[in-house]
Amino acid sequence: MATAADSQDGEEATPSPNSSENGTFECNICLDTARDAVVSMCGHLFCWPCLHQWLETRPTRQVCPVCKAGISKEKVVPLYGRGSTNQQDPRDKVPPRPAGQRSEPENNTNFPGFGFGGDGGLHFSFGIGAFPFTFFASTLNLNDGRPQPPSAGTPQYAEEQFLSKVFLWVAVLFIFWLLIA
Amino acid sequence: MMASQNMDPAVAEISSKGIPNLNNGTKETHSATKRLQKELSTLMMCGDKGISAFPEGDNLFRWKATIQGPSGTVYEGLLYKLVMEFPSSYPYTAPTVKFETPCYHPNVDQHGNICLDILKEKWSAMYDVKTLLLSLQSLLGDPNIESPLNIHAAELWDSQVLYKKIVREKYNKDVLGK
Repeated sequence: MATAADSQDGEEATPSPNSSENGTFECNICLDTARDAVVSMCGHLFCWPCLHQWLETRPTRQVCPVCKAGISKEKVVPLYGRGSTNQQDPRDKVPPRPAGQRSEPENNTNFPGFGFGGDGGLHFSFGIGAFPFTFFASTLNLNDGRPQPPSAGTPQYAEEQFLSKVFLWVAVLFIFWLLIA
Repeated sequence: MMASQNMDPAVAEISSKGIPNLNNGTKETHSATKRLQKELSTLMMCGDKGISAFPEGDNLFRWKATIQGPSGTVYEGLLYKLVMEFPSSYPYTAPTVKFETPCYHPNVDQHGNICLDILKEKWSAMYDVKTLLLSLQSLLGDPNIESPLNIHAAELWDSQVLYKKIVREKYNKDVLGK
């Protein structure tokens, strides 16, 4: 059983004597020169339609046909030869080849995520969430927009003032607890 | 390099027009035909020692193959014929491969069915006729005793002298008719 894979590796270097030169750019599935070429993260070249068909055939086991590494549609890199994208023939069933992903180069030595120094200053956002309050808030927000605050003097006004003081104290206590804990 | 890569599909397009009797012209059958033709030409170009394969008649989806018993094993000097049937979804699904010549082997049953992982769940689209035949050839000398189809052969494998005697006897009786 194991020998099946062994003989495979030996074969790969020289697919056939006459095509060993071009063999480098042959699709591993159709054995033809790769069209709409994509390369897997493990470095194996395929036609995109061929690889797509292979992945469709076995949705549960998505492995590279060559080295059996795990692969996925999202993690293949398209290869663009010069002017090759214009010649793409329309295939009905095959979805478009995944686009190349381009990430910006990292520009400086600063530790990403921390804006110390320079002009940036220090940004902190601080949030305290506790279950009953958030629950309250979301319940109240079920109505469209916030209800108008009650005018001063009404019992509701006094009640809200009281409530906000209570919550303020709760927040202060919570912060105090955070500091000493 | 890139220039030649862009040019090649056009060349391939021309060569594919020469495909004979493409009765049902579905895309799948077309790609299978194309690949089988490519495999056939590769096989004919480089004659591997010990294996051979050729389509049976006009049907490109049914091949006859032979493998020689690998030297240094009990099968040395024996020639086995096989039949390979390719589904229209080839190479995305494995071909059916059976021994036509009766083969006394732990992983081959009396009907010639073969138990080999790469013909079943371990099949990969990059395997081809050549790699399959080479794998089968090495399977002859290196059976998987753990999951036998022929329990008798599996049990006897350890006593190679007796095993060899039985292999030769059966081969002479079934193949040579002695």
